[in-house]
Amino acid sequence: MRRTFAVFVALTLAVAACGGGGTSSTAPGGTGGGGGGGTACKVGISWNNFQQPRWAATDKPAMFKAIQDGGGTIVGDPDANLDSQRQLSDVDTLINKGAQVLVLLAQDGKAILPALQKAKDAKIPVIAYDRLIEDPYVLYITFDNVAVGKAEADAIIAKVPKGNYVLIKGDKGDANASTFLPMGWDQAGLKDKVTSGDIKIIGPADGTYTDGWKTEKAQANMEAIIDQANAANQKIDAVLAENDSTALGVAAALTGKSYSPYPPLSGQDGDPANLNNLALGKQYVDVWKNSNELGKAAGQAALQLCKDKDNGKVTISVDASVAPAAGNTATDFKTPGNNTLKSIILKPTPLLQADLGKVITAGWYATKDQICKGADTAVVTACK
Amino acid sequence: MTTTAETGSPTGGVSSGPIVEMRNIRVSFGGVHAVDDVSIDLRPGEVVGLVGGNGAGKSTLMKVLSGAQRPDSGEIRINGEPVAIMNPRDAKKYGIETIYQTLALADNLDAPGNLFLGREMTTAVGQINDSAMEDQTRKVMGRLNPNFKAFKKPVVSLSGGQRQAVAIARAIYFNARILIMDEPTAALGPGETAQVRNLIKQLKNEGIAIFLVSHDIHDVFDLSERISVMYHGRIVDTVNKNDVTTDEILGMIILGKAPGKLTEKDIADIKG
Amino acid sequence: MGNVAEATPGQELQIAQRAGWRSLLAQTEIDPRLFGMVAALGIILVGFHVISGGTFLRPANMVTLGIQASGIAVIATGMVLVIVSRNIDLSVGSLVGIVAMVYAELMANWLTALGIGVDFPFRWAIALAIGIGVGAAFGALQGFIIAYVGVPSFVVTLGGLLSIRGLVWYLSEGAAVTGLDPTFELFGGGGSGSIGGTLTWGVGIVGSLAIVGLLFQNRRRRRQFGFPVRPLWAEVVLGAAACAAILGISAFMNQSFFAQRIADQINAQTGAPAGTPVSAGFPYPVMILVVVTLVVTWLATRRRFGRYVYAYGGNPDAASLAGINTRMTILKTYVIMGVLCAISAAIAVGRLNVATLDIGQSYELYVIAAAVVGGTSFAGGIGTIPGAVLGAFVMQSLAYGLAYIGIDSPGQNVAAGIVLILAVALDAWTRRRGTRTTR
Repeated sequence: MRRTFAVFVALTLAVAACGGGGTSSTAPGGTGGGGGGGTACKVGISWNNFQQPRWAATDKPAMFKAIQDGGGTIVGDPDANLDSQRQLSDVDTLINKGAQVLVLLAQDGKAILPALQKAKDAKIPVIAYDRLIEDPYVLYITFDNVAVGKAEADAIIAKVPKGNYVLIKGDKGDANASTFLPMGWDQAGLKDKVTSGDIKIIGPADGTYTDGWKTEKAQANMEAIIDQANAANQKIDAVLAENDSTALGVAAALTGKSYSPYPPLSGQDGDPANLNNLALGKQYVDVWKNSNELGKAAGQAALQLCKDKDNGKVTISVDASVAPAAGNTATDFKTPGNNTLKSIILKPTPLLQADLGKVITAGWYATKDQICKGADTAVVTACK
Repeated sequence: MTTTAETGSPTGGVSSGPIVEMRNIRVSFGGVHAVDDVSIDLRPGEVVGLVGGNGAGKSTLMKVLSGAQRPDSGEIRINGEPVAIMNPRDAKKYGIETIYQTLALADNLDAPGNLFLGREMTTAVGQINDSAMEDQTRKVMGRLNPNFKAFKKPVVSLSGGQRQAVAIARAIYFNARILIMDEPTAALGPGETAQVRNLIKQLKNEGIAIFLVSHDIHDVFDLSERISVMYHGRIVDTVNKNDVTTDEILGMIILGKAPGKLTEKDIADIKG
Repeated sequence: MGNVAEATPGQELQIAQRAGWRSLLAQTEIDPRLFGMVAALGIILVGFHVISGGTFLRPANMVTLGIQASGIAVIATGMVLVIVSRNIDLSVGSLVGIVAMVYAELMANWLTALGIGVDFPFRWAIALAIGIGVGAAFGALQGFIIAYVGVPSFVVTLGGLLSIRGLVWYLSEGAAVTGLDPTFELFGGGGSGSIGGTLTWGVGIVGSLAIVGLLFQNRRRRRQFGFPVRPLWAEVVLGAAACAAILGISAFMNQSFFAQRIADQINAQTGAPAGTPVSAGFPYPVMILVVVTLVVTWLATRRRFGRYVYAYGGNPDAASLAGINTRMTILKTYVIMGVLCAISAAIAVGRLNVATLDIGQSYELYVIAAAVVGGTSFAGGIGTIPGAVLGAFVMQSLAYGLAYIGIDSPGQNVAAGIVLILAVALDAWTRRRGTRTTR
């Protein structure tokens, strides 16, 4: 009995350790670590939330391919599972494994700084991937999150220039949610229209944040907002949701309450379920960031940094549709924290229902079946 | 009402054949012989006092009889027939009821709930029949403690004596023929102790056989016919109450020596 | 009572009156704990009503609240049994997640592959049955390791929480899955997801008759055995209050209406003119919760299994010495949790109409909080199922109310934490003051 107990405890702990654990190197086209000659560039990648579908489906394979095609190897790509402390030890591990360049998807831009210091001490160049790290040492490779916000709001405001808006934001601790995307919204004219009275905000003026960007939380919050608006006899004319996981919850809330007329809804990421909502008319715009290209750019940049640690010299080559407005070579970027760092900022692609064909032909990880489930093919031509 | 195996005569007094025989019982815990080749028996209408120091093995031996402990070897006979007592349910089947030192009551349940624990009365469709159980409990508690009224309160809020009464009622209700009582008066005041002693005498007269495990030598002398003394897992001796003095019993308990082997000096040492 | 002889006539009257109120309440035999919870819920709801300027207590809002609370409350009913028997289940959120994903995959892909196409009759029932089976299987596995192998429940269910959430990812290959049967949407409430006006009245009437019947039967049984009975006025007051409450809630819920588009579909069938409002009544998730609560309460109070759960919680040794198969009892509590998680998953996935990777995340915290606020004690042996359901509603009404008046997650979490601590502190204080009923 005692022996069985011990075995089961060991098994449980082992499973527990693996269950929340890393992504392990199962990328297509090769294994991580080992192989290659002494001159092969060794890259370490630290994910923050591999649970979200897009990373495994697009960023990782594209990055791995770019690195391996260029003769580099990956020493490891652990997942910090939303834990900033865990990410610190992940970075330690990568440095110990001999990484010559690091690609960091920071869970928290401030909490990652000690890890960054270690990289600096070891003279390892660092790419801040998708999420900002407030330090001039890094090369910031991302989609233009401000431009994403602007694209979201542009589309919605064009559809609903005057009316009552609900603002649904992501996790309060994420700079994208609190700063960059709202900046884009304002660039599209949201702030001015609110001041002039064309647009009225239902609910908190700053918008409603969603813990962990969770779909169920967004749904619950939106249900409360709908109820309150109904009670006050206010019509919801448009909903600006910052991303797809929250937009999914908003759509479920609106559908569940049979809200009519159904307001235009924004999102970003191009998640399959949301693209399906686009086809069904439950979402109006989805700002798609072809993260295949982002992963590719980061892979290319990593290889270059191995050879020459000058961030400013990095030049990438990506699809024209996403090519940076400022050119293919890294340029200066002024952060909200008043740091200036070198950056490569790709352009997002806003998708309306009519644009779904673009996604289907671009080989995105969302299949045509997923996107077109239940869609009226007479209306959505891309789904025929 | 459940019925258990009816054995022994209901007339008073000690009948001839033993109702319980435990033969060559051994129980070891990792090399320590808690019960070492113990043989003991009990006749209907008889009280056998089981005494010994801490760790002598009394409780373990009784746990074997009550089904809470499986012996490594040995045999138990009820009315001359060998039986297998693998768990508490088996013991109850043979009419063996136990009143544990800790009472083994579930504090959060009320008196009827505890009385019928594991043997609940059910309706035709298998639902717990709380009212019938309460009714039966009122009746049996009425015999033991007519002043008891708290049938719906959790037993944790009852006094020590009342809790003891519930534990005893449980044993009586199910027509125990063999009763194991482990330190029944240890936590009771004088009035309640007297009640318990009267009850034991009453049960004896009904032909119930009782193993009485106790530290109280006077209780043991007052109530038992025979006394078995255990020392380090073995039986030192089983004697008739009238054949020994309290000092000799003490000597057996403390020194492990049979009465014949105790010297005057031993007794002086014990008393000194 | 003091020295009455020395009191002045005015004081005497006061003393008698004060004793009177407390004894009046005692004579009705209402569990003061439960009564306090209902009162607390009432205070919270009325409080939000006032803060929101009188718009909070509308039928449509209470429908939302009911739907939001059901998912957690369903699981909380079983969590009471687990905690009462001195265990814990941290894996419930992940169980909900995996069963939700199983439902989605079944209806989107697997059932069709097995030849059970979209038009197959009762396809949703097959999916539901399989999901419940999956939940029960995981529950049985955890229960076995806890009860028979002897690994502490905290460790086992923590391992379950982590590993099962990982399995969700592998099952779906990392993406959310859509394509659920329309019937599943009913489980989640939503547009057509209410039982309608007639059935709601039916529920009200049946409920009232049941309560009156129970009171009647209870009194008759006590008489039969000669036990003390409640004073007749107390029976009448209880019965009248319960009927008024149930019928009142039914009437209130019937003031919630289907969206006109859906109502007109019904009007077309019944021949009523288009534009006629059609009462929606109780949403399905709330009805599911009611059924689950009744069943689990019945198991806990009317079956030997439930009695053994409480006995084990009160004194594990006493239970096994009484001949109870305690290991099987514990294992069964975990199987029940698995089934309840599967039911909650149907509600969650029905509400969302898609199975995301993080459905059910953090449910374990809300469920445990609901049980604890509802009076379940970690010491074991104490806790009621209706209490846990009330606890879930108390916690959810806070979350919903705060969102309603525009305070989002951080504020909601702070409030939830405070309420949890207050509830437990209050519980400990009342326990120290006197005796308590336990079931």
